[in-house]
Amino acid sequence: MRRTPQILLALALLIGLVPQYAAAQGEWSIEGADDITSISAMGDGSRIAIGSHGSKAVVYDKEGTPLYEKEANNVINAVDLLDDGTLLVASDDRHLYAYDSEGTPLWDADMKRQVKSVSASEDGSVIVAVVQRVNDLLFMNGQTGEQIGAAAIGATMKTAQVSDNGQWVLAATADQYLHLLDGTGKPLLKIGASGQIQSIDITGDGDIAAGTSDGRVELFTSDGEPAGNIGIQSSVSAVAFSKDGASLGVADLTGNFYIFDSSGKQLWEMKVGEAGRSVEFSPDSKTMYAGTDDGRILQLDVSSVVAEAKSQARMRIIAWTIGAAAAIVLVLLLLRWMQRRGKLGIFREIWRSKWIYLGLAPSFILIFTFLYFPAFSGLFHSLYQWQPGGRTTYIGLDNFERMIHDPYVTKGLVNLLILIVTGLIKSLIPPLIVAELIYHLRSKKLQYGFRTAFTASMIIPSVAGLLIWQNFYDPNMGLFNNFLHLIGLGSWAHGWLGDPDTALWALIFIGFPFVGILQLLVFYAGLLSISNELIESARMDGASLPRIIRSIHLPLLSGQFKFLIILGLIGIIQDFNSILIVTAGGPMDSTYVPALQMYYAATKFNDLGYASALGVSMFAVILVITVINMKFIKSAEE
Amino acid sequence: MRFLQAIHIRQIVIVLLLALLVFMTLVPILFMIVSSLKSNAQIAGNFWGLPSPARWFNYGEAFRTIWRYIVNTVAYAVIGSVCVMLLSAISGYIFAKKTFPGKNMLFLMMLAIMMIPGVLTLIPSYVLYENMGLTNTPWVIIVSSAAGGQIFGTFLCRTYMAGLPGELFEAARMDGATEARVFLRIVLPLSLPILATLFIMQSVGVYNDYVWPLLTIQNSRLQVISVGLTIFTQQFGVTDKGTQFAAYAISSIPLLFIFSFGMKYYIQGMTQGALKL
Repeated sequence: MRRTPQILLALALLIGLVPQYAAAQGEWSIEGADDITSISAMGDGSRIAIGSHGSKAVVYDKEGTPLYEKEANNVINAVDLLDDGTLLVASDDRHLYAYDSEGTPLWDADMKRQVKSVSASEDGSVIVAVVQRVNDLLFMNGQTGEQIGAAAIGATMKTAQVSDNGQWVLAATADQYLHLLDGTGKPLLKIGASGQIQSIDITGDGDIAAGTSDGRVELFTSDGEPAGNIGIQSSVSAVAFSKDGASLGVADLTGNFYIFDSSGKQLWEMKVGEAGRSVEFSPDSKTMYAGTDDGRILQLDVSSVVAEAKSQARMRIIAWTIGAAAAIVLVLLLLRWMQRRGKLGIFREIWRSKWIYLGLAPSFILIFTFLYFPAFSGLFHSLYQWQPGGRTTYIGLDNFERMIHDPYVTKGLVNLLILIVTGLIKSLIPPLIVAELIYHLRSKKLQYGFRTAFTASMIIPSVAGLLIWQNFYDPNMGLFNNFLHLIGLGSWAHGWLGDPDTALWALIFIGFPFVGILQLLVFYAGLLSISNELIESARMDGASLPRIIRSIHLPLLSGQFKFLIILGLIGIIQDFNSILIVTAGGPMDSTYVPALQMYYAATKFNDLGYASALGVSMFAVILVITVINMKFIKSAEE
Repeated sequence: MRFLQAIHIRQIVIVLLLALLVFMTLVPILFMIVSSLKSNAQIAGNFWGLPSPARWFNYGEAFRTIWRYIVNTVAYAVIGSVCVMLLSAISGYIFAKKTFPGKNMLFLMMLAIMMIPGVLTLIPSYVLYENMGLTNTPWVIIVSSAAGGQIFGTFLCRTYMAGLPGELFEAARMDGATEARVFLRIVLPLSLPILATLFIMQSVGVYNDYVWPLLTIQNSRLQVISVGLTIFTQQFGVTDKGTQFAAYAISSIPLLFIFSFGMKYYIQGMTQGALKL
């Protein structure tokens, strides 16, 4: 027994339910730093540099011991560490600074305007800077700090990045475009993003990531082809590739940090503070540095996460290979066995029936795509927070738990109960009475005439019928209040649909006198199928008409009753058409039913996982009814 | 003599009762027709009276606002129903008259779909069509009606075609007719009544459908009549009740048309469906 939890844990691990663990190795903070605006790790991983909103740039060794600290006169927008230890600092004080590995100033370039971004290749051969309200991307000389070139972009830029190997330069403009240039500043292409670009990164292979303010990270290849689209919880504040390009770190403004693999699959997620501001990987991809808005820098050991993902990928390949091999072996064994038994003829039969399968193909393609797939998708997604095209997070039974506490659902259940009881009475008693009346007519012509007359109400589209009834309830121009005035009961006139106490009953009254066509036809056909001799002989014995109805008609119609009750139950649980059209659930919550809440959850609140969970619950109830019915019928037949 | 009189009286009572019930059932239709010829002032001032003068141009105005919805819906209904007829006829014939490996399993798969209620698939279906880029196109209505309708259709066709004499097909095959020819020249013509039933039931279903188009079609040029009736008042600024009722009346015309030709088939389909399932 003690092993059960372990087995469960192992199972959970196997299907990836337990989030991978990333240990915070170290955490340090910079006094008065506010936002950590930028983090840069040196090519050999021995140092990292931090730029902060509080005008400080600090260089640490990898244990987190500060090596030196520099202060600018305004916000530091970007820092970059080169392989030789040179530190580049861009600041809103309109200067671009360079320091050597000891912290001695190398040069200090006055750029005349606020420097919004600086980025360099690891060897320092390509250095680009973005300056406020200048539409050119500036190329700098790393030795002297002189501007050596400019590339015209044609729009104000937010940020720019140089790939580690200096082969690519990527600039993001305020008008939602990405401009890809080569290391010399020659423009290659221009890519449109779907939102305001907040942060970008580019790998040595030219793979591009761009984080937008509407919570998306868009991935592109160096040809400008979309390679992925990741949705996260809020506005992206930073994106960074690991050096090998296999992992992508993302920070958002709600304080979540994420790691994705290159295909956009989420590997890890952690909430750290109020807002994440910057991310950077160590060159060996084993550590991710995360900067927050309160001056903290977290050193997260993500090697297990990344390694796990890698080993999982490897395991998957191995599992697939083994699986495929096993399948082939099994098929071969099966064929062998069938050959021995002389059953290979089935393949000949299947081949001979190929036209039959071809004929069924369109039907079954439609069935699987448009009927089975949505059904399973609904079952599956009821356990998720589901936002198609965006984040889909596994949340277990939370949706179902929420349903229990949802006041609209509880209110809806009470209403549904009332609707079921009244609905069943409505759909059984009046049609039965009418069927009996028609049945007892002598003239066949009259029978046919009345039957047709009752079905005539079908010529009105159901929506038009509902709208006419809605009109009947109109407080001023409606039929009901006018009728009450006519018969002298004007004081009873009422805003029937506007009053929470009467709205549900007004809905129930729709369709008076409730002669359902299907029900009428089913009962009528049932009565016709009762043999005349039975009734004649009963009459001979002196049975009165009520007695005949009670003792012969009703028992013999029990099958029809059962069918109509089941059909009615299933129909009423699912129906929200009439409510949606006539009252839309109001006034207040007085006419809600669970199915309507499902529709609103999906359309008004875009909460598709919750809507699916409601759908699944109703499906479960309907399934129970159907199964009970089948058992019931079976036991009745035996 | 007195006995006969008693029977007579009873018959008269039944007829009167039924007539009253029919009248009450048809009150919405009668009210619609009478009110459709009035103006707002006439409705308020002379609620119970007949319209005088009758405002026939209410119909003209109503037609101008909703004709597109009706044309759309009729087109979707016809195309969808023809697809259903084709799919059901082929599948029904195969399941009724052919033997092949896996027949029972495939048929059970169709049967099982009947257990899945629309409420479970509504939202996921919407997401699926949305992801396939089918929302806001006519296909979202046509494909869903074809996929959903063929299940019931296959059952109806299978039952009906199982009752067709097999000797007939054998004889045709002996004479050298190909399978396709047998299907087209013998099976289809003999199955016309059930196909008509199917067509009528399916197109009435599409014509009355409300939630699915409401969910999947936003473009008002492609919208169907059910949704159109609930939005045309705001869309075209129709404040006249008479015009609204005229629109309801006009929207009934296609149904009136189809029922006057095919009421028999519709009732057959309804009762047969009820008895078979």
